[in-house]
Amino acid sequence: MDLAIEHLSKSFPSVRALDDISIHVRAGEIHALMGENGAGKSTLIKIVTGVHKPDSGRLLLDGREAEFASPRDALAAAIGAVHQERNLIPRFSVGENILLEHLPTRNGMVDYPEVHKRARAVLDQLDRGIDTRAEVATLSVAQMQIVEIAKALSLQAKVLLLDEPTASITTHEADALFDVLRRLKARNVAIVFVSHKLEEVLSLCDRVTVLRDGRIAASGEPIANVTRRQLVSFMIGRDERVADIGARNPDRDQAVLELAGLSTSFGHRDVNLTLYRGEILGLYGLVGAGRTELARSILGFGERTGGAIRVRGQAVSIQSMHEALERHRIGYVSEDRKGEGLLLAYPVRDNIAITIWRRIAGALGLITRGAETKAARPFIERLAIRTPSLEAAVANLSGGNQQKVSIAKWLAARTDILIIDEPTVGIDVKTKVEIHELIAGIARDGVSVLLISSEMAEIVTLADRILVLHDFRVVGEVANDHRYETTSAAIMTSIHAVEPAVAGVV
Amino acid sequence: MAPPLEGGLTLRWVPNTDWAGLLAAIVIGSAALAFLSPNFLSEFNVYVLLRSVCVGILVAFAQMLTLAVGQMNLAVGALGGMVAILFGGMMEAFGVPLWLAVPLAVAIGVAGGLVNGLLAAHTGINGFIVTLATGSAFTGVNLGLTKSAPFYKMPHALQDFGNGRFGAFPFLLIAPIVVSPLLALFLFRLPAGRRLLAVGGNSEAAALSGVSPANAIVLAHCLSGLLAAIGAVLAVAQLGSAQPLIGSDWLLLSFAAPIIGGTALAGGYVSIFGAILAVLVIALIQNGLVLVNADPYWVQFLLGALIVAAIALNRWRARPIGLGW
Amino acid sequence: MTEQVLQQPRYRRPFVMGQQAGLLVILIALGALFTAKSPGFLSSFNLFTLGRSLAIDIVIGFSQMVVLATGGMNLSVGSIGVCVVMAGGYFMQVAGLPIPVACALALALGGALGWLNGVTIAKSGINSFVVTLASANLFSGAMLIATKAAPLNALPRSVGAFGQMRVGGGWVSPMLLVAILIGVALAIFYRYSVIGRQSLATGANLRATEMSGVPVGRRIIAAHALSGVLAGVAGLLTVARVGAAMPAAGGQDWLLPSFLGPVVGGASLAGGFVSVGGTILGAALVTTIRSGLLVMGIGNFWLDLFLGLFLLAAVLAQHYRGSVPWRRRSREG
Repeated sequence: MDLAIEHLSKSFPSVRALDDISIHVRAGEIHALMGENGAGKSTLIKIVTGVHKPDSGRLLLDGREAEFASPRDALAAAIGAVHQERNLIPRFSVGENILLEHLPTRNGMVDYPEVHKRARAVLDQLDRGIDTRAEVATLSVAQMQIVEIAKALSLQAKVLLLDEPTASITTHEADALFDVLRRLKARNVAIVFVSHKLEEVLSLCDRVTVLRDGRIAASGEPIANVTRRQLVSFMIGRDERVADIGARNPDRDQAVLELAGLSTSFGHRDVNLTLYRGEILGLYGLVGAGRTELARSILGFGERTGGAIRVRGQAVSIQSMHEALERHRIGYVSEDRKGEGLLLAYPVRDNIAITIWRRIAGALGLITRGAETKAARPFIERLAIRTPSLEAAVANLSGGNQQKVSIAKWLAARTDILIIDEPTVGIDVKTKVEIHELIAGIARDGVSVLLISSEMAEIVTLADRILVLHDFRVVGEVANDHRYETTSAAIMTSIHAVEPAVAGVV
Repeated sequence: MAPPLEGGLTLRWVPNTDWAGLLAAIVIGSAALAFLSPNFLSEFNVYVLLRSVCVGILVAFAQMLTLAVGQMNLAVGALGGMVAILFGGMMEAFGVPLWLAVPLAVAIGVAGGLVNGLLAAHTGINGFIVTLATGSAFTGVNLGLTKSAPFYKMPHALQDFGNGRFGAFPFLLIAPIVVSPLLALFLFRLPAGRRLLAVGGNSEAAALSGVSPANAIVLAHCLSGLLAAIGAVLAVAQLGSAQPLIGSDWLLLSFAAPIIGGTALAGGYVSIFGAILAVLVIALIQNGLVLVNADPYWVQFLLGALIVAAIALNRWRARPIGLGW
Repeated sequence: MTEQVLQQPRYRRPFVMGQQAGLLVILIALGALFTAKSPGFLSSFNLFTLGRSLAIDIVIGFSQMVVLATGGMNLSVGSIGVCVVMAGGYFMQVAGLPIPVACALALALGGALGWLNGVTIAKSGINSFVVTLASANLFSGAMLIATKAAPLNALPRSVGAFGQMRVGGGWVSPMLLVAILIGVALAIFYRYSVIGRQSLATGANLRATEMSGVPVGRRIIAAHALSGVLAGVAGLLTVARVGAAMPAAGGQDWLLPSFLGPVVGGASLAGGFVSVGGTILGAALVTTIRSGLLVMGIGNFWLDLFLGLFLLAAVLAQHYRGSVPWRRRSREG
């Protein structure tokens, strides 16, 4: 079947996710959909599968307009998908999960022997090692991913959308998947394949569409005509985004945070890291390299199984974020802004002052509104947070301004070590630049920043030095000359050095 | 019974952590009671014991159905009480024959569940609050109609059914014996039952697979009402009269039994056999305390301790998942 | 479809009228209706008895409210209440302690039981529903075992006298003043104090609050301990009203009123929003309806029906005004 997406737009309260997107996916082709995190790929897939409704634009299936009120409608139109979130029923068997959309019945009852027989047949194309009778909750993450793919394959869909299906499976399993996809392609199925991995896209797909900040950056380019390099520049918008952010002067004599041979229950092995006063240390790694987990293990999540953490020269064993803040003046800007960064329904004022309530409390431990306003207001101006007032709920702000608020609370708390995790995911370009300038400014004021990012341009723009994390180990340190070409090449070299097979991701 | 019932997964009659502990507790407890009191194994005491679990099993099932879909039914006892009164009332005051009154009573239960389900599924108001409110309303209907006075004139057939026994086997036990396999069939074999559990296990995923969570929630509440109504009819038969107080003490048991039996509070997983055994354990405690002349007040305390033990056991075997918090 | 919550979240502070204004209007209208139908409704005796049961309902509501604030619930409010009732009776009657000492000790017991709930929930991460379901049985069971369900009705006279005392022109019970005083303290607590603000934030988004350096575990424990103390206060007020310590007080009978006041008053079951004024008004509505039905001769039997319908109407009304915090959490885009 032939899928045409025409002039699709979709906005969420705080962000314009898709802006006038048109893509034509032909029957019998594998169409790559690429873009950085937050570019709008998942939203697009959710519209095609009936999860979200578009604000405007339309979908055409074989030239006929299709409108989906629910995922059920999309399924009925033979559209199948592997979504990014885990979409399995944990206490059901593998077989039943795979066939959930169309359980075979006999005399009105689910025919389990048949379920397992059919599931086995689908699963055998991918992985013979998974028992169809096993409970999904007992599988590994990689096995769950295989089951999700098998679930989508079992639909006999005429349009198949796969959102990062290979994110957590082995290359061997991925190869099996690609064989299946090529066979489906021969059967005239239209396939949309989302991946960060360039090699996969180059070897598997026929054409590629690249999204950037909710817009089309490259539309249906034949793979044969694009180089790896071009793909990268489509995604990140070339080197011009490595902005000159001004010079800084890290104090190389004063180490504020040191990890010495750190091993953790997350799986980190022998991680060494030194963060100096006023420095921005970039921590770059692919998805699943253990970046966020490293930040969390510093803050007392997970368990330290070896090595030491030193803060300003003192060996510490931080047990909670409370201790990190109150005792060591360490702050953490989470990558999960809505889940961990902000109290969405609360006003801007509370969200900035939450870290300093104790400090601004007066007699009897009571906080007056005046004191709170006085403490919070300067940050509205300094960070240029665009909000109607201090009383507006942060949920009503744009993503960029929300992010500024979640940084502001740590500035208010006067933390001098700040761990910032993916600060600009899903944020528009203009605000992105503002946030970069803000982070540079913080460092210039003497705050030490550990910047975690999977966005090369961001790391190259901001970091003084870059540590490359791969598979929960530090595989290289790169001195940043703030030139995209050389620094990114050096980073990729250090990753390729340990595992040439995972080439990809920018 | 040929095919495995539970979930169509693997054969479940091999030691199952949901109820193996309960079974052991029942065996050991029974042995100890038989040793302490010769009366325990007497035909009459076994009859009394079995008779006392019938209503409880239905009540536990009624709550289990809403838990299965990820909801709660705080109105389970109130609905049961209202059904019991209307059931008794229609027979005494309007002379409705028993054969008609039973299906009518069940229909009232389903209707009450339907109200709960529609409100919980379609207004977006938390099911906890919805059933708290409807529960109060059902109790109000019950008390308002009866002014707390029971209906005594029940048909003989009903009373005979409530008191009758075949050796140690109470006729009342027929109901749970019929209902349990039907419930298992529904939850583990019928597509509608599977959809219900799928929604409880992962509502978003079920929706993406074309299942309507709203429909599943409505269905679960209707069935909960149906089971509560059967429980109410059994209670009337057991007591020989339609007491307004029927149902007033169901709420705790309705949560305790499924949870002790291994049903997940968050939804998506139930253990029918576990719930039955849990009711049996609770009855055994009550029976045993009477037999050994212990303070009957220990029942409630031991029930609490049992819940604690069940959740501790659950945690102990739970696998840590995710990033670590 | 479910994104609406994100579009228009409304932040409400405790004690801000607006949502509560509607309740107040209903309350006054009901009062007027009952007075018109039966002039006895506003008699000083009726207002006095109304005030006494209102005081207890308010404090029961507060006891649930402080846990709702942190996003949990407490099914053991009534069980802790009855434990405190019997302990208070024991300390006064059997141990012969001075009344203030006996009350303080009994309240400390309530706080300790609540603290036990809180510690279990915070340290194990188990749902507060299950934990308090279990502890409700444990507490009530232990109380029954210890007392053999025998009431203590030879309390010092001044206890019952406090329940009969009238102030303010003979129609105000000092019990009501106690409840109002606690309300004022709670309003200050949630609006101005560090711990109160942090407790609300914990309910609004536990992970974000934890990641902002707030010791959320301690806030949850404190909320449950406070809930235990408040349940104890409600219990002691019951003792004063009856003039005896009855083992039948509290228990499951408190479950409905404990949720009714806070929820009608606008608290969110999901946590993060409570309203002290709303809880008082919610409890006042319950009391008014109860008393009104009585004086109008409809009787207590239909009370539960009206309360249930009223609760349903209240949450539906708030829901369709679009300001409902207890809707299911929205899916993100």
